[in-house]
Amino acid sequence: MTEIRIALTGNPNVGKTTLFNALTGSRQHVGNWPGVTVEKKTGRVSRDGYEIEIVDLPGTYSLTAYSADEIIARNFLLDEKPDVVVQVVDATNLERNLYLTTQLSELQVPVVIALNMADIAEAQGDAIDRARLSEFLEIPIVRTVGTRGEGLDDLLKAAIREVKTSPHHEHTIGYGDDVEAKIAELVGALLVDRNLANRYPLRWLAVKLLEGDENVASKVQEGPASACVQSILSSIDADEYEAVMADKRYEAISAILPQVHRTDAGGTTFSDMVDRVVTNRYFGIPIFLALMWGAFELTFTVAAPFMTAIEALFAWLAEVSVTSIEPAWLGSLIGDGVIGGVGAVLTFLPNIFILFLILAFLEDSGYLARAAFIMDRPLYAIGLPGKAFIPMLIGFGCNVPAIMATRSIESEKDRLLTILVNPFMSCSARLPVYVLFAGAFFGARAGGVMFFLYVLGIVVAIASAKLFRSTILPGDVSPFVMEMPPYRIPTAMTSLMHMWSRGSLYLRKAGTIILLGAVVVWTLASFPYGVEYGSAESFAGMLGHLIEPLVAPLGFDWKVAVALVFGFFAKEVVVGSLGVLYGGGEETLTEALLVDPGLSAATALALMVFVLLYMPCVAALGVIKKETGSWKWAGFSVAYGLVVAWVLAFVVGHLAPFFIGGA
Amino acid sequence: MGAVCPLALFSAGAEATVAEVRAGKGMQTRLFGMGFCPDARVRVQCADRGSLIVSVGDARYALSRGIAMKILVGEPGETA
Repeated sequence: MTEIRIALTGNPNVGKTTLFNALTGSRQHVGNWPGVTVEKKTGRVSRDGYEIEIVDLPGTYSLTAYSADEIIARNFLLDEKPDVVVQVVDATNLERNLYLTTQLSELQVPVVIALNMADIAEAQGDAIDRARLSEFLEIPIVRTVGTRGEGLDDLLKAAIREVKTSPHHEHTIGYGDDVEAKIAELVGALLVDRNLANRYPLRWLAVKLLEGDENVASKVQEGPASACVQSILSSIDADEYEAVMADKRYEAISAILPQVHRTDAGGTTFSDMVDRVVTNRYFGIPIFLALMWGAFELTFTVAAPFMTAIEALFAWLAEVSVTSIEPAWLGSLIGDGVIGGVGAVLTFLPNIFILFLILAFLEDSGYLARAAFIMDRPLYAIGLPGKAFIPMLIGFGCNVPAIMATRSIESEKDRLLTILVNPFMSCSARLPVYVLFAGAFFGARAGGVMFFLYVLGIVVAIASAKLFRSTILPGDVSPFVMEMPPYRIPTAMTSLMHMWSRGSLYLRKAGTIILLGAVVVWTLASFPYGVEYGSAESFAGMLGHLIEPLVAPLGFDWKVAVALVFGFFAKEVVVGSLGVLYGGGEETLTEALLVDPGLSAATALALMVFVLLYMPCVAALGVIKKETGSWKWAGFSVAYGLVVAWVLAFVVGHLAPFFIGGA
Repeated sequence: MGAVCPLALFSAGAEATVAEVRAGKGMQTRLFGMGFCPDARVRVQCADRGSLIVSVGDARYALSRGIAMKILVGEPGETA
């Protein structure tokens, strides 16, 4: 068995991950916006006696990396030396995609092109002569349609063939006499750096030096060729050279393209027409808000009947367990603890699934990038590029991938800012808290209350960004440049699959961390031995009473205090803990909350605001630490969140009675 | 060389040819990679807010006005 390693590279949003999933049977997240993949992902497949490792990389426009995700892609290609590089090319946008090809062919690794989205190009009336293009480029080209799994076999065969064909020929662009003379000079100078010369093609190094690539410059600086290279480079203007070289590359491409590519495309497309409406100066933001409002209404109303049924089922199961399982403590553990806690969370499964379905539609349709575009102006005013809005919206699903998605933000400061405000974006784990309390205390107005909370999250995130920008992270906003993908109408199948792949993670969470949280809270509520379950004398009661003074001004009692503490592990546990602590009766959790004299609509609203803002969960905290590289920022985000949550919950709790009537 | 002016000054529907990109390290590389290189034909799709949507070939990009100021263009057909 021979092992080979294939790297998938290409421009952003050309379908690398879709192809990767089809090749390896993986279920990595895909979407119709640039920057979905920000990490390298590996998968395996065997074919014709080869054990093939396939590595999916973040998209990049050029081999001179600019943002964190591009650096990952570039470093892998350079330093990990894959056996073959498969460049996934968007057949509907050949010219720009081939620009990257011209750079890849300088790396002296075997390249195969996957001409992806070929079906869309053909439907558009494009005709591409693959055989001729392949001859011109001296690179094998395979037609693929990632979404339907077409061309996978041919692609693997072509990749294997390229590995076997060695030594590999070199095919690079000529940059004209001037530049070539400099390249030759630099190659001569670089020869003395044996270490570097063994690892990278010298011509490629020279080209990158002339383009002013800082990463390559620093590689050279550490070696013996440094002085000589410096003196050559000091005589040229890198910006100008870069422009000349880019020009030559496009010139080479446009010399080929007319001979191999016939297109009817151009003019105004369907996407352009949609854009005229959704990005309109006056309607853009109202349309966005209306869509959001509609989304949360749906999340609540469509799910309501399912929710009621599940809630009743768990209440019945809990009661049966408590009354019929012997010994009594086991009945209580299963009924009050496991079913009370996990059941309380699973009740909201329909809401979560509908939310994920809506988010899948948002990501797959192409609207997500437009939301960033229309929010660019308000965000710019407070000190963030429009691009930062994408991680914010992804945060509606879960803050962990959202914080990772900030890797495509070019400026480090902007990125840090976007990371720090992300926990205020209301993730799906907080949804059960809203549905429970808004449903119980606000009835028909529940959808509106949820919309208020989501908007409050956005407002707090934006206001915090403004505050940080004018205090701890001063600086200019990095310029906003982002590709607007064409709109695609997502198929029911792909949307449902995306919903399921996220929803199943939620289910797994219910079976692990939420279950654990429920059992821990049950234990605390049941001991020391002999106390009444869930009473003030239990450990849970003691813990709650210890914290109660801190949250009493907000109107929260000790049960809520305990739930908030455990909510740190996962926000759903807030609901799970309340399910455990209010357990033991015959009523559902909703009914139990309604009859608790300590809770009113105003307190419920304050609690929802507090849960929205109070701190990142453990998982989000971990990823903040990882992405910012320090515990300092993670700690800061906890402290800041707690203060903001306390203040706003206090204000909302005390003002709410004036709006909703009665405290 | 014909008269050039920043892309940011164009309104929706205008077509032009890129003459020069002066966006500074990093951003310049990104713009070249996206297709904004000298002689590329661009078309302004939307220009009524803070940022623009500009098409190059078959791709559409959102550009902040600041960046669009650094992309100098000439009239269509004209080469700088």
